[in-house]
Amino acid sequence: MKKGTIILIGVVAVIAVIAMMLGGTYNGLVSKSEEVDSKYSDISVQLERRADLIPNLVNTVKGYMAHEEKIINSITEARTKLVNASTVEEKATANEELTSALNNLFVVVENYPDLKSSANFINLQDELAGTENRIATARKDYNDAVKSYNQSVKRFPKNILAAMFGFKEKAYFEAKESSKDVPEVSF
Amino acid sequence: MFLKFLSRIKYLILAFLCFGFLTNAKALVKPTTEFYVNDYANILSSETEEHIIEKSKLLYQADGTQIVVVTVKNLEGMSLEDYATKLFREFGIGDKEKNNGLLLLLALEERQFRVEVGYGLEGILPDGKTGRFQDEYIIPYLRENKWDEGIVNGYDAFFSEIVIQNNLDLEYNSPENINEKYQTTMWAAVIIGFIAGIIIQALEDHLGILTGGYSLIWFLGLCYVFNFASLYVYHFIVNMFVFIFTRASHSHGSYYGGSSFGSFSGSSGSFGGGGSSGGGGSSRGF
Repeated sequence: MKKGTIILIGVVAVIAVIAMMLGGTYNGLVSKSEEVDSKYSDISVQLERRADLIPNLVNTVKGYMAHEEKIINSITEARTKLVNASTVEEKATANEELTSALNNLFVVVENYPDLKSSANFINLQDELAGTENRIATARKDYNDAVKSYNQSVKRFPKNILAAMFGFKEKAYFEAKESSKDVPEVSF
Repeated sequence: MFLKFLSRIKYLILAFLCFGFLTNAKALVKPTTEFYVNDYANILSSETEEHIIEKSKLLYQADGTQIVVVTVKNLEGMSLEDYATKLFREFGIGDKEKNNGLLLLLALEERQFRVEVGYGLEGILPDGKTGRFQDEYIIPYLRENKWDEGIVNGYDAFFSEIVIQNNLDLEYNSPENINEKYQTTMWAAVIIGFIAGIIIQALEDHLGILTGGYSLIWFLGLCYVFNFASLYVYHFIVNMFVFIFTRASHSHGSYYGGSSFGSFSGSSGSFGGGGSSGGGGSSRGF
């Protein structure tokens, strides 16, 4: 065998190894990115479910508490915001607003024993609490996936490949700071 | 010399102890060898445990659904929901593909109960239904610290619901709706008391048996007595049923025990099928 052939084989082998490594990294990034997307859709499903429960709740509650329009309206508004939200941050913020609006309602419900003990309301409350808990779980799973993905995108040497193929950092499911201090509803 | 050495490193030892304490602080309980019953609060009788284990094994053989009961002393500072979801996933309750697991979790010190539903069972056990089941079958017992009755009755409620909804060919015990029964006995007691009051009033008015002026006290007193009496009778009947029922299921169990092939105890100790939960279910305090 000629010397040139050996060198050629060597170069090809090295290139092949590098290509395989790059390919592995690329595939790893793709699957992590897909994991994030799938967890995101889990959150979206639960957010939708929550939004779907609200009209039913509002109708049930309205019959019992005609004087609490302010609270009921705040819930409807928060729901509209949630339905129209498009980015991760918007959704997280709207979701948090809806949570505090609902909490205000559940405080007031204490004054309406008939409503509080009605089977329909108890059922809705359980459904809402379950959905809320599912959102919390889905959110944690999503944020874990994002963390793992973002670490890959930022760290050397994967970051070079990530930059080449346009993998960008993804946003955590977190509400805007400002939304956390929602003004108290005065009674 | 040695003592001096000890006193020198005592802070180190203390630090180690603290560290051990801290790392322990967030530890979840591990599945026991029975898997289906994990009575870490030590409140269940062996009859209850056997009942659940037998039933859960049959259910698992029928379609892979797993119902697991866990009692813990406390939640190690976690929220009930967090604890339940973590425990569910750690145990891997239900099939990995079907996610058809169900967890009944009782936290003794916090006096809280949670039903956590795997993804695959959410269709037949929506959150609202799990909450209603707790109100009707479990919580009234737990309020009176009747752990065995509450757990068995609640377990039977969920077991029968799964069997019926999934069209499984399994025997099941119908649970008692204790909430409704309580209400009917209370009403019965009030009515009996009321009638007794009228009779006394009539006796007093027409026959002059009782001295006047005290009729209201008599009436109230009798209502009270009848209320209590009927409650005691009620409890007696319930306990009798529970007694007969546990005896019956016990003999039932040994019958099945002979024919179970030990396929379960034979496997390597990890019983969970790797099922997961997304945090669905409902919580109650008692």
